[in-house]
Amino acid sequence: MFQAVVRTASQLLQDLQRSLRRQRGSGHQTSAASSPSPPKYWPLERLLLTDSVSRTLFEEYATHRAELRGEEETGWVLLGLRGPREALVLATLPAGALRDASTAHVLFNSAAQALGSRIVRQADRRLAMIGVVHTHPGSLRHPTDGDYRGDSQWVKSLCERKALRGGEGIFGIGTADGELTADPTVAHQPRPHVQCLGELRFSWYALGQDDAGYRPVPVELTLGPDLARPLHDVWEVIEIHADRLDRLYRQQAGVIFQVVSGSRGPRLAVNVSVAEPDTVVRVLLDEKEVRYYLDRGGEWLAAGFSEDRVDRGVYLLLADLAAQQ
Amino acid sequence: MDFRPLNDTERRQLIHALRGNAESDRAILMDRRDTSFAGTAEEVPDEEVILAIRSVPCHY
Repeated sequence: MFQAVVRTASQLLQDLQRSLRRQRGSGHQTSAASSPSPPKYWPLERLLLTDSVSRTLFEEYATHRAELRGEEETGWVLLGLRGPREALVLATLPAGALRDASTAHVLFNSAAQALGSRIVRQADRRLAMIGVVHTHPGSLRHPTDGDYRGDSQWVKSLCERKALRGGEGIFGIGTADGELTADPTVAHQPRPHVQCLGELRFSWYALGQDDAGYRPVPVELTLGPDLARPLHDVWEVIEIHADRLDRLYRQQAGVIFQVVSGSRGPRLAVNVSVAEPDTVVRVLLDEKEVRYYLDRGGEWLAAGFSEDRVDRGVYLLLADLAAQQ
Repeated sequence: MDFRPLNDTERRQLIHALRGNAESDRAILMDRRDTSFAGTAEEVPDEEVILAIRSVPCHY
């Protein structure tokens, strides 16, 4: 099938080249609409959150506040699409239980978030860094001076390396000082850059590399997914195995991650393609154990060894397969 | 195998994608379920996203 697509594509490319040659010969100019050019960005005019992303932020902030570490700051990295004048957030990567945090600071577990980004970008490689949300335990609805020092340097550094589309980052601040309304189960926006649900509030700002301060950015909702939400159910597993899974992903072609249901709840599945047709090495991970299987055409064979270091376990299994050839 | 000619819209989109790939290095997307053409996009390299995530500063 793919060969057929390639043949079709090759034919189309030849047609296209002939067409271009004809156009050049006749002095005809290709219209702007049919000729893609590098994307042009203007300052952000609005932030678009999908309804699922917004739910994730409010729900997980509420859950966080009810936990033992609820007084600490927490947060999320936001991935999405940067358009010419707006940013659309499509995925949230949580700070994680292994974050470094107190009532006055939070440093995300970036190893887990990096792996999370690889997993969520398997489905859509357009997803880029949009920004960061973090919470304040009090009622400070604006980033602090310390936030500005770090964020402005971060934005500048990413812009210099061309790693922040549009040259602006989005920064959200979560606080728990929202005004009580008649119906605390329905969100409202007292100001264009503020979302409130019950006592929880998110205030949204943008910061460019040369900006002297943050500027409020209007936020709007649209229907859509939080592409990373299924991963949140196995985030503890991702945190435990982040470094080894990341190494495996970088070293081994054909690694695919999935979240699957198991008898003890959701598990992270890692599928590694091997040379034999219809054969896949499958690893199932939960908080307690790592299990290895060989899937031969749908028949699952359990590996007879125990290895918590998942990259080592996969290579042991691959070595065993090689020895059988 | 199911082969069928592309309709006008699909043909136009594929030509647009090929032109973007040839002129601007834009990715051509393939549906991983059936290998069909799934549009075009500006693909963001892993390194760009990972660099941004790993360098998020401490917040206060």
